[in-house]
Amino acid sequence: MKKIILLALFFMFNITFAQVNVVTTTSTIYDIVKEIGKDKVEVDYLCRGDQDPHFLEVKPSYMLKLRKADILMKIGLGLEMWAQQLIDGSRNSKLEIVDLSVDISIKEVPTAKVDASQGDIHPHGNPHYWLDPENVKIMAKEIYESLSNKDTENSSFYKKNYEVYSKRLDGKIAEWKNKMSALKDKPIIFFHASWIYFADKFGIKIAGYVEPKPGITPTPSHNADIIALVKKNKITKIVMENFYSDNAPNQIAEKTGVKVIKVPVNVYGMDGVDSYIKMMDNIINQITK
Amino acid sequence: MKKIFFFFIALSSLNVLKAQSNTNPDISLIGTFNTFSNFIKDTPEYGKLNFETPSMEMFVDGYLNPYSRATANIAYEEGEFAVEELYAQILRGLPLDLQVKAGKYLVGFGKINTIHPHAWAFLERPLFHQIYFGAEGFNDIGIDLSYALPFESFYSSIDIGIFKGDAIAKTVASNPDDPSTFYQLRGNNPVFVGRWSNFFQLNDYSDLELGLSGSYGVHSYDYLTSDSRKALFYTYTGLDFKYKYRSDAYSSFVLQGEALLNSMDVLRSADEIFFYQSRINTLGVFVYFDYQFSKQFSIGAKYDFTYGIIGDEPGYATLSNDDKNKTQGIAAWFGFYPVEETLAFRLGTENLFFNYSDGAPRDSETTIKLQMIFSLGPHKAHPF
Repeated sequence: MKKIILLALFFMFNITFAQVNVVTTTSTIYDIVKEIGKDKVEVDYLCRGDQDPHFLEVKPSYMLKLRKADILMKIGLGLEMWAQQLIDGSRNSKLEIVDLSVDISIKEVPTAKVDASQGDIHPHGNPHYWLDPENVKIMAKEIYESLSNKDTENSSFYKKNYEVYSKRLDGKIAEWKNKMSALKDKPIIFFHASWIYFADKFGIKIAGYVEPKPGITPTPSHNADIIALVKKNKITKIVMENFYSDNAPNQIAEKTGVKVIKVPVNVYGMDGVDSYIKMMDNIINQITK
Repeated sequence: MKKIFFFFIALSSLNVLKAQSNTNPDISLIGTFNTFSNFIKDTPEYGKLNFETPSMEMFVDGYLNPYSRATANIAYEEGEFAVEELYAQILRGLPLDLQVKAGKYLVGFGKINTIHPHAWAFLERPLFHQIYFGAEGFNDIGIDLSYALPFESFYSSIDIGIFKGDAIAKTVASNPDDPSTFYQLRGNNPVFVGRWSNFFQLNDYSDLELGLSGSYGVHSYDYLTSDSRKALFYTYTGLDFKYKYRSDAYSSFVLQGEALLNSMDVLRSADEIFFYQSRINTLGVFVYFDYQFSKQFSIGAKYDFTYGIIGDEPGYATLSNDDKNKTQGIAAWFGFYPVEETLAFRLGTENLFFNYSDGAPRDSETTIKLQMIFSLGPHKAHPF
């Protein structure tokens, strides 16, 4: 009988034993929080791994998630333009916002006036920094510190998990660099301007983008330019996020024989990709195949 | 009107001077340009390509402090500037996590009314909105309290507000003391509006929102059947739903509809000399679908039904008091969105069918419209 009463109370009042309730904007941040917070943290995410994180429809169900959260962790740099409406809609005056970009060395920060004629340029710099695993170590440190500030009792627990995860990443980074060394200085075409951190980390040369400008739908004339570029430089690969339409890359492939590689860029972006490490494994295995 | 224009210019200049400040509000501009042709006999537009004066909505919004924000929407329509919306909201920090909205704004009766016309999938305002709220929809001055119910499994909120009644109390009555003049019965009476909305995430790809709305108040006064003025009450009950299925980033299907049930005290007369009070019960309804089948293209269709005859002037015998005559509409459109939400072209047609209780004949009316909408600046997307 006692068990039934306890169970009923559990459901009625939504009793949880986690110390900190975290919501993340992307499933990649979610995975890192899980690695560091483990069972001391209740964590959920907003944007699915198979969705474009630039565009998320503002739904009341996301406001519901934020209403009971202690912390919202985001990529920042203008990636989640939709987040503020959700924060406002959550009515949660105690919600703490943690921007994980604060200690990242930002690339492609515009030095001149930015306007829409340049496409979807992020005025504060390129926000796709999690594709460099070194930056994920910085994100993990930020997450560990944030959780520790909120839950000082378990600070040492978070620190230990952060150190373990950081070491695991070090091991994987060495492995990934080794695999990618075969492609060093090789030119690759990417679909969207989200690969600068990845390319710089692994020494790949970005030869061009399928999008004529960031966020702008491919055009026939730009496709023709890319086809000429592929032929001239004997480029063998086009790498693209798997949530974009592959019409234009496939047209280029038909004309040139270039291989189109569709990869997940967030955790759960593809079946079986249930952690950041598996996601990077997937990307690197596909590119180096 | 000039004052508003110059005030706005001054505001813009101020923003230029403070361009490096982080406290600047967001400024966005939505432009709309329509060309149309109709097939309505005896009208000057019949069969011709007609150009409407472009219209504009200028949004200025931003945070006032950590708890509240304010929005102004200055519209330019048919050659005139007007303050379409001007309101402030307290978003957080109040007891029970209440939110407060005060000023002039699109009232939350139903779902579509709160969405700006440039964000509708269709081109023309639903017919029953034109009949029961007027050509600008339910846009009114008032204050609204919003409370989110503490449910865990779905989002549910209740809004209750009190408004001036501009959009409802818009009938015109003759002055019994001077039959040559008329009372302009607009916004003389506070009206009450409430909405209970419920949002259900069915799965990762589909969502459903259900809403129940109500509005109650005095829409006019009876000076004709008694010596002292007697209030004429109305009650609107609204039902709305929206279902959206989004399978991927480039395709979605929306099915949405609303209904309004009207119960209203009215004055009737058989001979225009002796009047008596009566109560009428009427309704309006619309339902539409919009199917985005690629990143840049969509198609859709809408069906409308309402009591009342679209285009009639307000009066006791017409519009919201009309429980005999009916209008139906069928619309279809094709949308082209070259680059995300910054530019849209829509080609649409609407056919109106009129039904008079006395059997008076009237041809159906067809309008074909080509619309271009552009969005400049950081105007935020409307929520689901």
